[in-house]
Amino acid sequence: MRKVLLGIAVLALLSMGFAQPFVWPNAWIADPDSVQMGGTFRDYEFSEVRTFNPFVTAESTGVSNLAFQGASLLTRGPDSDEWLSYAADSFNISDDGLTVDVTLRDGLVWSDGTPITVQDYFFTYQAETDPDVGSNSYDGWFIGDDQITLEITGDNSLRFNFPKSDRTALGVVALTPWPDHILGELYRSGGAEALTAAWGTDADLSQFVGSGPFIPSEYRSGERVIFVKNPTFGQWNVDEAGNALPYMDGYTFAVVESQDAALNLYLAGEIDAFSPRNLDDIGVINVAIQNGDIDATVLENISPVASSQFITFNWNKASNPFLQSVFRNVDFRRAMSHLTDREAMVDLVYGGSASPAYSSVYAVMDYWINPDVPKYDYDPEAAAALLRDIGFTSTNSDGILVDSEGNALSFVLATNAGNSQREQIAQIFADSAREIGVDVEVQAIEFSLLVDQLLSEGDDRPYDAILIGLTGGNRDYPFGSNVIPCGTNLHMYNTSGSCIAVEEQLMTKLYYEGRETLDTAAARDIGYRIQEVEAELQPIVYTVSPAAHYSWLNTVGGQHPDGLINSIVGSREIALTYIKQ
Amino acid sequence: MIPYIIRRIIHLIPTFIGATLLAFIISQLVPGDFLNSMRLSPDVRPETIARLEQSFGLDKPWYTQYFLWMGSLLRFDLGQSFSGNQPVSAVITKPIINSLILVGISLIMLYAVAIPLGVFSAVRQYSVADQIISAVSYFGLAIPNFFFAQVLILCIFLFRSFTREYFDYNQLILPVAQMTSSNYDTLTAFGKFKDVLWHALMPAFVVATSGIAGLTRILRGQMIEQLSSDYIRTARSKGLDERKINYKHALRIAIIPFVATIGALLPGLIGGAGLVEIVVSWPGITPTLLQALTAQDIYVVLGFLIISTLLLMIGNLISDLLLAVVDPRIRYN
Repeated sequence: MRKVLLGIAVLALLSMGFAQPFVWPNAWIADPDSVQMGGTFRDYEFSEVRTFNPFVTAESTGVSNLAFQGASLLTRGPDSDEWLSYAADSFNISDDGLTVDVTLRDGLVWSDGTPITVQDYFFTYQAETDPDVGSNSYDGWFIGDDQITLEITGDNSLRFNFPKSDRTALGVVALTPWPDHILGELYRSGGAEALTAAWGTDADLSQFVGSGPFIPSEYRSGERVIFVKNPTFGQWNVDEAGNALPYMDGYTFAVVESQDAALNLYLAGEIDAFSPRNLDDIGVINVAIQNGDIDATVLENISPVASSQFITFNWNKASNPFLQSVFRNVDFRRAMSHLTDREAMVDLVYGGSASPAYSSVYAVMDYWINPDVPKYDYDPEAAAALLRDIGFTSTNSDGILVDSEGNALSFVLATNAGNSQREQIAQIFADSAREIGVDVEVQAIEFSLLVDQLLSEGDDRPYDAILIGLTGGNRDYPFGSNVIPCGTNLHMYNTSGSCIAVEEQLMTKLYYEGRETLDTAAARDIGYRIQEVEAELQPIVYTVSPAAHYSWLNTVGGQHPDGLINSIVGSREIALTYIKQ
Repeated sequence: MIPYIIRRIIHLIPTFIGATLLAFIISQLVPGDFLNSMRLSPDVRPETIARLEQSFGLDKPWYTQYFLWMGSLLRFDLGQSFSGNQPVSAVITKPIINSLILVGISLIMLYAVAIPLGVFSAVRQYSVADQIISAVSYFGLAIPNFFFAQVLILCIFLFRSFTREYFDYNQLILPVAQMTSSNYDTLTAFGKFKDVLWHALMPAFVVATSGIAGLTRILRGQMIEQLSSDYIRTARSKGLDERKINYKHALRIAIIPFVATIGALLPGLIGGAGLVEIVVSWPGITPTLLQALTAQDIYVVLGFLIISTLLLMIGNLISDLLLAVVDPRIRYN
């Protein structure tokens, strides 16, 4: 008997020796030499938690990001957009880009101690691609109408089959598994209904099994979510010194109903970090630091936020042929870009904490931004000259430019009511336009009405021009699949269903070409071309991107080194965050 | 009395159906729907939006949606919330309870402060104290709750600077946000009760202020009228002591109009404390309702409407019945 036990012990030791944990690089944190164990990070969450079910969740919030973090096959560090093997031991993309073979890392384990196997990944794939489950990841499994499939090719290996090569689809290889022995059982016995009914906000969270650094343990509706350290995470996640991760014992979210309430909690020292919205917030925090209320770090103007703000002109106005022909005229749109006083918007609206934007790619994704696109910067005289060239040579009694037929250059610029920054941007634009005789009436209308107008389709749509923003998108290829190609629903300036300008056709073609290009540098070259064509066509006039700010109490360590913090990767990796005792 | 109550309840049914129909039509007049934010996403496939429209029933005409919803109402099912795959009843129960706690505490404050103040003001009419109470009342009536809450939060922070400076005490005297402390789950039952009460103190006071101001003013007027009437003079001439005259005789009559409004308190109770809840992050009805409104999660919005409509109707009934109890001149048959 003793021999057997000894044998088992030796085997266990051997298998541990072979299991290679994932080593989190020191380069990802600012102060790797002073890490400490224990403690709890106190974060805040802005919206109500809807579910703890990874197949039901539809939102990207702090809570969902932490709860649904886990043994994804691939991951990305804060220092690069390249995919790294994480739960995968290795991965290999075939030359034609149609298959990706993945071998699992040894020693992967669920929070309940059960080993993570290829079956877990396979079940997750099955559930995510089942339309009855309705997972938010469903779309990611499709390229056009063709589905990406997953097969088990061995005890320890998986293969992803792509209908065609597509760089935006690499994200699906970064599949995060869910436990087959729990959720998979439910799915097989009760179908999609049983699967989606599990792990709701009313569920007993002791049943939750995951693979991330922290596991949700308690939820009080509208008040807080408590996560505890996943005891098995450190078996396959270590730092360079060999310490098991995560460093902290727990992570909590206070659910707040407004940013102001979160700021109050931060000033009261009850949460550890706060993302200031604007310079007012930063001012309040700085005063509190000076008064000695809190001991905190403030990072101001760190990077542009990952969103865009722009003016789009409606090319589908059959009922108003004059405005339709004006909006379709490239010189008119370049003149409008010349009338966009981006510097004034940065200074007056954002107090200097914003940057001018000239491209559909968010300014924070500097790798993808083409710095040499034509910029039709603020220049009212150039704008007036362009407008003269297209026939607006005289003004009427109100001082508004008119063409030879007496049509006055006058249109409505709508934006969403309640967004005071957008209303100000629109007003600055209207003021500079008025100076050279372009009459722009700013209308702030209800957001849902604005969206309705923007998304309307056909040859005669109800708006003139709209100032709005977009967020979201893909780090592998930051061009929206619903935005760039003609005929898609966010191709906002022209939703007639077909291309009107040849540049639109070119951009559509380039978009798909770049998507199929797996080599990142080559894809970027194509992306550069898209931005060039778009800038010349100016179908959309980009305005400014506000900046992101960060602040945290100095009792917290483990943030990214300076230069690695931005609005996409954030200020820290949770697994590498530690509390100074 | 019983037949009257039954008749009233039967009359409630068409009112209720009319109210739900009106609410539903108004909710449909708003452009767009729950999937709007998804339509604005650069990478969501149109097929997915079509599939969700179908599964939420948003592709059906509004009257079909209405009848489906009424059908489930008859089975005491408020429908399904679009976000998070949960029944509406699960979404709205907790906020209603949390708001009840806050409003309940503020009601106790309201009556405990307003009634003595009103009586005092009337008895000492035009005294300095009465003038001060009047002035403060107007201030309380005029200041918006959400602003007053912000001012109090600022005062709490300033008080911390003060106590740190002079007493070396660097803690806030009252919490500035949320309903419970972070160690709530480790507390005993009594500790939990104290913790919630502690967090409710400031917001409940804010909610009570405008009510205190209004009630004090009205009660003062009522009391002055009663105190100058004949039966009070009779009571005085019998040699009754002033306390008894004020509280036992005059107040009893002066309070009748308030009894009539007790029923209306019922929907007010679940109407929540309004924007104060947002300012102090109290997880009550207002934040949930606002989130549902912005997300156009219509069945959650309608769920709140249904509950408050029901309570309003029941409250009115109770008011009418209570009036008959306190005022012997009123008889129903």
